Amino acid sequence: MDREIELRLVVRLKAGDPAAFEAIYEAYRPRLFGFLVRLSRRRDVAEDLLEETWLRLVTRCATLADDARLGPWLFTVGRNLYFSWRRSRAVDESRTSELDPAWPAPERGASPFEAAARSELERRVEAALARLPLRDRELLLLVGVEGLTPSEAAGVCGVPAVTLRARLHRAREKLAAEMDADRAVVRARAG
Amino acid sequence: MTTWEPEDEVAEDLSALRVYDASPERVEQTRARCVAVLTARREAEQARAGRAAPWRAWLEPALVLGLGAVYLAEAVTRALAVYR
Repeated sequence: MDREIELRLVVRLKAGDPAAFEAIYEAYRPRLFGFLVRLSRRRDVAEDLLEETWLRLVTRCATLADDARLGPWLFTVGRNLYFSWRRSRAVDESRTSELDPAWPAPERGASPFEAAARSELERRVEAALARLPLRDRELLLLVGVEGLTPSEAAGVCGVPAVTLRARLHRAREKLAAEMDADRAVVRARAG
Repeated sequence: MTTWEPEDEVAEDLSALRVYDASPERVEQTRARCVAVLTARREAEQARAGRAAPWRAWLEPALVLGLGAVYLAEAVTRALAVYR
């Protein structure tokens, strides 16, 4: 979202303008949901967290700074809610359910071949991401998928930017290793 | 490598991930709840402003009239003092 537009939307949202909320909701909802669903690996949990995050925004919008960055704000709240949920349920990462097997859904507009090839790659990337530890996964999602800068992601995760860059580097290496191993398996099967 | 380089293989793999969204029912439910919160807040603020308005409606003119009368009385008093 253009920064100028975002600043205007923040001012209007603080004044309680529902149209400003609608614009922000449309712009950030899918990104936030994608982050939460890949973090939690459960659609029902992600939907609950998504709703709670947006409710937090509208109940606290009057206290937002005029120059607030909505993306990092929403991801921070969503992430904190997810970790609270984990603590309240004492969720063990290794025991959370796998991604919904119906994902990824067939892509509309793509040819059957393109859809199948893309779905196969997506499935492998989703599976590789899901195998990573949560701390690595969240960094890759924030920076690699959602396009936050490392500094913004550091703010979301509550760690110094230097620490985040080092962790991000390790997370990238782990994902690359997972994908290499997966490609090797695919080649072995094909050969 | 500590910076994100879009041309690398990891970035390429991640770019294959699609954008997901909540179910249409849940999207609408969340939207409705949030709009309701904003609307309720707006109405509460308007009600507060409305309650304050009658109080201001009589106080401000009374204050202006009172100060005006004091000023006028003082001016008349001083003018009479000149001619005495």
